[in-house]
Amino acid sequence: MKPQIDKDILDLIEQQPDITNKEIAHTLSLPENMIKDLLEELSDTRQKILIVDDELDALTALKIALEAENYNVVEAADGLSAIEKVKSEKPDIVLLDLMMPEIDGIEVCKRLKSDSQHKHVPIIMLTAKGEINDKIEGIEIGADDYVTKPFNLNELKARIKMVLRRSQD
Amino acid sequence: MFAKQIRWNPYIIVVVVAAIFVIGTVVFLGIRSNSEVKDVVEQQFTSQQMLLSKQISRGIEEFLNEKVLLIEIMAKQESQVPPDHFASNFKTIYEESSGFYAIQFINESGTVVSGYPEDNLPLGYNLYKNNQSWAFEKVQKDKKTYITGGVQMFEGDLGSFTWVPVFHEGEFKGAILSIIKVSDVTGRFLESYAPQGHVYLVDKYGMILYDSSYKLQIGGKYFDLVNESNLQQINTFQEQINGTEGNGKYFETSEDGTSEERIVTYSLIKWHNQKWSVGITNPVSDVDSLIRSVYIIQGVFIGVSGIFIFVGSMWVILFLVKWNKTLEKKVASKTREIKQSNELLQSANIKLKEHNQLKTEFVSIVSHELRTPLTAMKTSAEFLKDDNCDSSVRLEMLDLIIRNIDRQTRMVSDLLDISRIESGKIKFNPEITNLYSIVKLSVKNVDSLSKEKGVSIDVNLPEDLPHIKTDKDKLIQVFVNLLNNALKFTPKGGNVEISSVESDHIIEVRIKDTGIGIAPGLLDRIFDKFYQIDSTSTRKVGGSGLGLAITKGIIEGQGGSIRVESTQGKGCVFIFTLVK
Repeated sequence: MKPQIDKDILDLIEQQPDITNKEIAHTLSLPENMIKDLLEELSDTRQKILIVDDELDALTALKIALEAENYNVVEAADGLSAIEKVKSEKPDIVLLDLMMPEIDGIEVCKRLKSDSQHKHVPIIMLTAKGEINDKIEGIEIGADDYVTKPFNLNELKARIKMVLRRSQD
Repeated sequence: MFAKQIRWNPYIIVVVVAAIFVIGTVVFLGIRSNSEVKDVVEQQFTSQQMLLSKQISRGIEEFLNEKVLLIEIMAKQESQVPPDHFASNFKTIYEESSGFYAIQFINESGTVVSGYPEDNLPLGYNLYKNNQSWAFEKVQKDKKTYITGGVQMFEGDLGSFTWVPVFHEGEFKGAILSIIKVSDVTGRFLESYAPQGHVYLVDKYGMILYDSSYKLQIGGKYFDLVNESNLQQINTFQEQINGTEGNGKYFETSEDGTSEERIVTYSLIKWHNQKWSVGITNPVSDVDSLIRSVYIIQGVFIGVSGIFIFVGSMWVILFLVKWNKTLEKKVASKTREIKQSNELLQSANIKLKEHNQLKTEFVSIVSHELRTPLTAMKTSAEFLKDDNCDSSVRLEMLDLIIRNIDRQTRMVSDLLDISRIESGKIKFNPEITNLYSIVKLSVKNVDSLSKEKGVSIDVNLPEDLPHIKTDKDKLIQVFVNLLNNALKFTPKGGNVEISSVESDHIIEVRIKDTGIGIAPGLLDRIFDKFYQIDSTSTRKVGGSGLGLAITKGIIEGQGGSIRVESTQGKGCVFIFTLVK
């Protein structure tokens, strides 16, 4: 639905470059606030990071730190919503925690990498030592990189940059 | 049934075969020695009979020869024929030497001229006239004594005639004829033969002179009297009349058709030109009857030996069977023991593996639980270090750090508790306390959460509850844990109720909530450490996953028990007991 709404908004602006948010809301029968948010989102040129972690505090801390680095951060608390978010938000990169209830990080990674639409989305696995046997296993399931918890923030940021640059090349 | 019990093991077969062999050997040796004994006894019997025949024949021989010698002496003694023609001598001899039937003198003309006793004399009887002179002529010619065989006498009796010639200065004067009745001889020597068996007397021509069995007619020829087809008897008899002495066996068929084997022994009587033979026969069955007692003793011996061997071998078999059974039982019980200890070892091994698995899982969970707050803290702290951020963001980060420090502290403290409980090193400091005040303290402790969640706590305890001896701090911990749990899982507007039931030795405390409840299948597991029905929801409410395990450890460590009852969707009741 969302991509369709985005497309409709863009079509309206193209036809009438002076159109206001209110007029668009009226035309599409949607609340004006939503149109405003959508427009902001559409004009956001920041790179989008999806953080997937079932630990709320860990997720919050990382979100604040990455937003300070001027990333657009979206979050998911479990595997299923992570897959949904990848489809709707089209993040540039996914930071994926390994140990999660129901669908764990490995399964999320496998599903995304087997989906032709989303397999190009780079994934950095966040794992604790002992949770995964070695880096090779993490990479074999399709993860682009791999950071051990508790991680060094600067190192994580550097890896994010590196992975993003590599995926843009 | 017995046969079923015996398993025919090879050694039992060996014992049976050995027993049969030994019994067979004893029987064989017994029978063999029996036939040897029979032979020996028969030989003894035969030689005894032989001895008897010889004795009898010797007696007859001496008697007859003595008679002849008397007559011969008399014939040669006188210088010439006495005027009474030996009549007085005859009388003396006749009377002194019994056994003569008659003695008479026949003169050279062949006429009986004298003799004694006169009753038995045909005085004046002339031999030539009666054509009876051949023996008279023979002694005159041969000049020596001659004895005729059994001759039918006038009296119808068998008699033996002894002719002794009388010569005077080479001139034939006549002959002395002495007659001995055969019946006199046999009456004197044979009829007194008392032992069982038969005795008979024959001369060299096979004429029967006597037969104690009266089967053979006296004066008859033997060969005419016996059955011609009985070759064995005829041959034996032939040997008897041709030989001197010996023995033999033959079958004799009696009138009623039964056949009987007899032993015969015979001995010769030599009397000048005459040869007689005495035979004694006895049935072989007499020998058998003699050795029957030996047979009986031997039979008894064989039987007893057989019984002994049989009983002995049965005993050996029974012993072996018993021994075998004992061995089998021993083996079976040892096998059972080994199997049991094997099973014990296997189950112990499985338990150890499970234990190890649980330990690995525990370490993995613990490390995750410890690392998670660390990750949040580290990220926040590093961010605060590098970034110059707003004070609101800074405050949020610092709150997050403190929250996680608390969480980790709680976790470490819970881990220490559970470790003490599991290793049995938990220490209780019991003191006399008032349960009511403990509940009040605990409720106060969770007051903020209660308000925050909008869940009320009702305390329905009687104020006169007895004092109990317990570890106060740990009991508060139990109440706080359970109340926290109840509050966490009860939605806004619900309530938690604390009540108690007192009985003789215990106080039962119930903490009831109106929360989400627990599925029936999971009731047993909620006291396991780190067991979380839904970890997402648990995290939502925050918890180490050790609270109930610690609670259970504290209650049970002080002699109480804890259980939970629940209706899913309608809440649950935690019920624990305290010892008064």
